[in-house]
Formats: sequence, C-alpha cells, structure tokens
Amino acid sequence: MPFYWTLAIIALLCAAGYVLGRRKAVASVGGDKRRLHSLPNFYGMNVALKGAVPAFGLLVFWLIAQPLFVEWRVSSIVSDLAVSEARDLGLVMVDVRRVADGLDTAVATGTMTASEATDIAAGDGNVRERLGAAGVALGSEVSEPVLRAAQRYRALSSTGDTLRSVAVLAVLLLGLGWAYRETDGEFRARNVVEQGVLALLLGAACIAILTTLGIVLSLIFNTIEFFSIYPASEFFFSTTWFPSFGGGSSLGILPLLWGTLYISLIALAVAVPIGLMAAIYLSEYASPRVRGIAKPALEILAGIPTIVYGLFALLTVGPALMVVFGDGGLGWMQAGTAVMTAGLVMGIMLIPFVSSLSDDIINAVPQSMRDGSYGLGATQSETVRQVVLPAALPGIVGAILLAASRAIGETMIVVLGAGAAARISPNPFEAMTTVTAKIVSQLTGDADFSSPEALVAFALGMTLFVLTLGLNVFALYIVRKYREQYE
Amino acid sequence: MYDNRASESAVTADDIKIEAKRVNVHYGTTHAIKDVDVSILDKTVTAFIGPSGCGKSTFLRCINRMNDTIDVARVTGDIRIDGEDINDARVDPVQLRAKVGMVFQKPNPFPKSIYDNVAYGPKIHGLAKNKGDLDDIVERALRRGAIWDEVKDRLHAPGTGLSGGQQQRLCIARAVATEPEVLLMDEPCSALDPIATGQVEELIDELRRDYSVVIVTHSMQQAARVSQKTAFFHLGNLIEYGDTDEIFTNPKDPKTESYITGRIG
Repeated sequence: MPFYWTLAIIALLCAAGYVLGRRKAVASVGGDKRRLHSLPNFYGMNVALKGAVPAFGLLVFWLIAQPLFVEWRVSSIVSDLAVSEARDLGLVMVDVRRVADGLDTAVATGTMTASEATDIAAGDGNVRERLGAAGVALGSEVSEPVLRAAQRYRALSSTGDTLRSVAVLAVLLLGLGWAYRETDGEFRARNVVEQGVLALLLGAACIAILTTLGIVLSLIFNTIEFFSIYPASEFFFSTTWFPSFGGGSSLGILPLLWGTLYISLIALAVAVPIGLMAAIYLSEYASPRVRGIAKPALEILAGIPTIVYGLFALLTVGPALMVVFGDGGLGWMQAGTAVMTAGLVMGIMLIPFVSSLSDDIINAVPQSMRDGSYGLGATQSETVRQVVLPAALPGIVGAILLAASRAIGETMIVVLGAGAAARISPNPFEAMTTVTAKIVSQLTGDADFSSPEALVAFALGMTLFVLTLGLNVFALYIVRKYREQYE
Repeated sequence: MYDNRASESAVTADDIKIEAKRVNVHYGTTHAIKDVDVSILDKTVTAFIGPSGCGKSTFLRCINRMNDTIDVARVTGDIRIDGEDINDARVDPVQLRAKVGMVFQKPNPFPKSIYDNVAYGPKIHGLAKNKGDLDDIVERALRRGAIWDEVKDRLHAPGTGLSGGQQQRLCIARAVATEPEVLLMDEPCSALDPIATGQVEELIDELRRDYSVVIVTHSMQQAARVSQKTAFFHLGNLIEYGDTDEIFTNPKDPKTESYITGRIG
C-alpha cells in the first residue's frame, strides 16, 4: 500500500473516531450536555488523539528503522564482494541502492514487468542498457552480486512497506477502540486532552534543544578528529595560515581571529554610535508620526540579505574608498577589498540591530524618571544623558554584545568585501580574512573529508561557536543582573 | 496631629506667590480644567482636595509647566509667579522648574547613588562652586529632607535600595537641593505607610518656613493636618477656596460639604 494511502486512512479513521467518541459521550448522559464532565468536543478529541499519536509514532519509528534493517541484511550479501575487489562497502551499497531504484523506475514506467525485475540476472541480456532505456543512468555494467543484492533490497523493502501499513493500522485501531471504550459521561476527557497538548508543546521544545545539541556534538566529534591528526598548539598559536591540500600546510587560527576581531571592531565602531544616537532620537525626540515612519524604515535595513550588503561592499564602498585612500589619493590601499570596506558595510548592517534593541530598552525606562528630572529643571538632553541612558545602560550593553556576536559570525560581507589573504597587520586598508570566510573556502571544492585541511573547518567553527556563545551568555548575564534596578 | 491654630499664628507673610486666572486645560478633546482662578500665598501650605479625576494634579502640573511634556495637553489662561507670566514665550520652562520644585506621587529616585540623586539638581544648575560646596548642599538638603541620619553612612549606595518612605524623603531632599521658591507635591504620601506619612507631613510643616508648598492629597485628614489653605476641585472646576479651618468646619458650597462629610467622592 503506498505511503500516502496510509496517511489518508489514519486521518479518515481519526475523524470517524472523533465523531463516534463525541456521539457516544453525549448519548451516555441521555443528550444532556451539562451532565458531561467535559465539553463534547474533548471526548472526540480524546479518541482521535489516542488513535493518531501511537499510529504516527510507530510510523515515524518504522520509517527510520526499516532502511537501517534492510541495509544491514543486504550488506551481508555484498560484503564478500567488497572484500574481494578491495572496495569500500559504503560505495558498493550506493551501487546497490542505485540499481534497486533503477529497477523500481523501470517497473513504474513499464519498460520491465514486475516479475522480470525480480528474476533478471546479470547474464540475461544487458541490465545496464535496459535500465538506461527507462531513464536510469548507471556508471558501469552491473555485476551479479550487486544485482542480486539490489533484488533482495527491493524484496525486503516491499515486504517491509506492507508490514508497516498493517502494523500502523492495527495500532491505530487498537488506540481508537480503547479510547472509545473508556468514553462515558464521567470520563475526564478535558484533562487528558490538556495533557496531550502539554506533551505536544514539550515535544516541540525538545526538538529545538536536541537539534542544538546535535549540531554541537557533530562539531565536537569532528574537532576531536582534527586535533588527533593536527597538533592543537600549532592550531592555536601559529601565526601563519597556509593550507595546501598536497600536505605540509600550516593551519594557525591567529591570523583569522585577528581579521575577525579587527573587522568586527570597525563594524561596531560604526554601528554603536550611529545606532545608539538613532535610538535616542527615535525614543526621546521624534514625534509619534515620525517614529511611526522612521522605525520601520530603519528596520528594513535588517531585512536586507547579507549577500546584498556584500555586493554593496564590492561594487560601491570598495571603489569609493579606493578613490580616497588608493593609489590616486593617499596611497594606503592596494585594492577595493580591505578590512575597512567590510567593516564599514558590516557596521551599516548592524545599525538597525543596535538601534532597534536600544530603542526598546530606552522606552522601557519609566516615564517617572524623566518627570523627576524635568521637575528639577533639567533640559531634555541633560535628562537623556544623566538619567535615561544610565538607567538603560545595562540593556544597551547587552544589545551591543549581541551585535558583536552577529559581527563575528558574519560571512558573506567578508567573503566579498575583505579579500581572502590571511595576515596579521595593523593597517585597516589591507585585505584580510575571517574565520567564517575560511570555513567556507576549506569546505567548498574537492576537499577530502579526512584531511586536516578540511577538518580544520570544524575546529574553526567550534572556536567561533565558543566565542559567540561566551559573548551571548555574558550579554544575558549583564542584562539580567541590572534589569530590575528601577522597578 | 498638629495643632492648626498654633501653626497658623506662625504664618507671617501674607503676600501672594502664585496667581492663576481663568486657567483652562484640554487633553485632546477632554476639558480637564475649567476657568480656575486661585491665589496661592507665600510661606503657606495649600492643599488641593477633590475626588479622583477632578483636575487637581493637572492644575498642579500647570504651575511648573510639566504639562508641556505631554503632547496632547493644551493650557490657556494666565498664571503668574511673583507677578511674572510663566507661560510667556520668554520664560524658559527649564528655569521655571528649577524655581518650582516638584515631588511626585510615586517615589522616583534615579538609578544613581543617594549622593548623586541629591547632587543632580545643584550640578545641572551650577549651584556649587566646588566639591566641598556640593557636599554641603547635599548634606543640608538631606537634613531638610529629614533623612540625613539614616543615610549619612551610605551616601554612595544606590537610592533605589532605600525603603519607600525613605525614597520619598530622598526625592523631597532632591527637590529642596535646587533651592526652589515653590514646592509642588502630587500626593506625596499615597505610596507610604502611616509612619512614613507622619515623617513626610512633619517635613512639609518644616518646609513652610521657607517655601510656598502646594500639596495634592486624597486624604482630607492630611489636608486638615498640614495645610493652612484648602482648595476643593470637582469635575475640573474650583468649587471652593479658603482657610482650611473654614473649609472643614463651615463649607459654603453644598458640594464641598458633601465631599468633606463623605457623601460623595
């Protein structure tokens, strides 16, 4: 039975269970709904939930488990072949899956009958050509063990699919039947449904947390692998970054960190004063009308994709800086791509980030503070400088630290605006590069995933992760510690 | 709590400090104050009483032009302090507010140290010549606020860490530190317990020696205890204004009588 049919049957039966459960509950109290413990809908929902949740649970589990099981059974057939031809078992399995899929396609398009597909042998005619006629391209002629393994793969999969449908429907019916039986006027259906909702919300929260955990774990394992083939002291303290895929590369993180911090520093030097002053204007001086237009307009900046900022850096800011600081002007700059270019553009990107957060924080300062200050004869700017800003300072610091972690993690602007040379130099008009940009360049192209040159990307990513995590935790700590001060 | 007759005999000056004529205030389309005329005396405590929403706080805020900070508020009419029109275009509301201090309903110390809270006004108005001078001003203000003994050992602790009553006295000290001529108090005791209220009332009686004090209050007992003059507001109108004893013992208007005896309000 096709997969989607299973889904449709589950939905249909649950809907039927809902109607029946609701009807039974109402009937059990002789049609007087006030005598029910819960509203009639809860009884219907209880039945539907108790059918759908176990059925879907089993379905998901089966969908994950079946391919693993089939793979395990089939791989025992081809493992001898892999050993004899000295090939990687995983690669042979890729062949097997491709042939099996090809046979499926051939049957579906009608170039092969179902019995032909199960019985065809490598000796009977040209399997590769026949599959090719069905639109399935194979790299080489199919060998006998691979073909047999593919046929076994298909047989196991189709048995598994049938079993899956049967098992899921059985669980569904059991669940529906159990819930229907316990339905009567006394049953506390509302409490059960509420618990079901709670479990749903908890599940969603768990998925978010577990995904984060998974990402961190994958980083950690690859990082450990990197450090087992490359000395950690060299990674952290070497001042040269010279990856060469032929071997003998030097993978020091310091030049990349220097580039990252230098660019972030310039970006913050641009974004913090401008963003903060914009926030003060918007929250303290602007009339509601101006604020209603200016705030969304400023936040549009935050919606521009960073690649567009990158283009802006490459095509507009870089050449403009060259006019002033390049060979025609002061002569400090060799090319349009430089730390200054990337830093300026990144700063522009961060302005709405700083201004929007700071604006919210400044607005949260109670009006009574301002009244108190005005009541003492302070002017508006004295009030802002000496009362409002100090009161909002912890929140503003938090906003700046969050902006900093954005700057450190930014990639596209750097790739397009800062150049690709890893070097430690105090001159902001020279090209430099950052950790993120190098992660991209180490993992794109034909990298061998077991070489230190590719694995270093994970160590770089881990360093970056720890750095931004530290900044975020620190920001949250500052914001929390001082938040309650004026309440 | 205090014997009114005794304190009244201590009032020597009888000159008018604030004179308001035909004052109207609109909040958007709401007519909050209607043609109020009142003359407030120097070195006197004047109480504004009346039910909630009657406009007494709004009128108080006209006296130091705090209504300027509210966009929708529109004030018309003539208010003179020492004969000078405060709504005149040449008057800087900032300077006016330095002369007319204000204490708010909820204690609102700045998130700064106790010392900095009090030094704030003198600093922005340049009242102190040097650090020692500023120290003196702060100490004098805190003494006048009757809080010096409680905070003298922790002047650099945050003002927000004090108790509610202490915070309110700190705010009074802060207002006094700028050497105002008039002190406006908007329900200064509504957030305080009876003991703190007693301390603040004692303080108000003290302040009367140097300032003209205007206090808005919901407590008629408080008005009777601390004030020499009382104004009764109702629905934006000034119903009756006169000596406190007179208002409380022999009100002329039936509305005043109803309010004071608790029939309305």
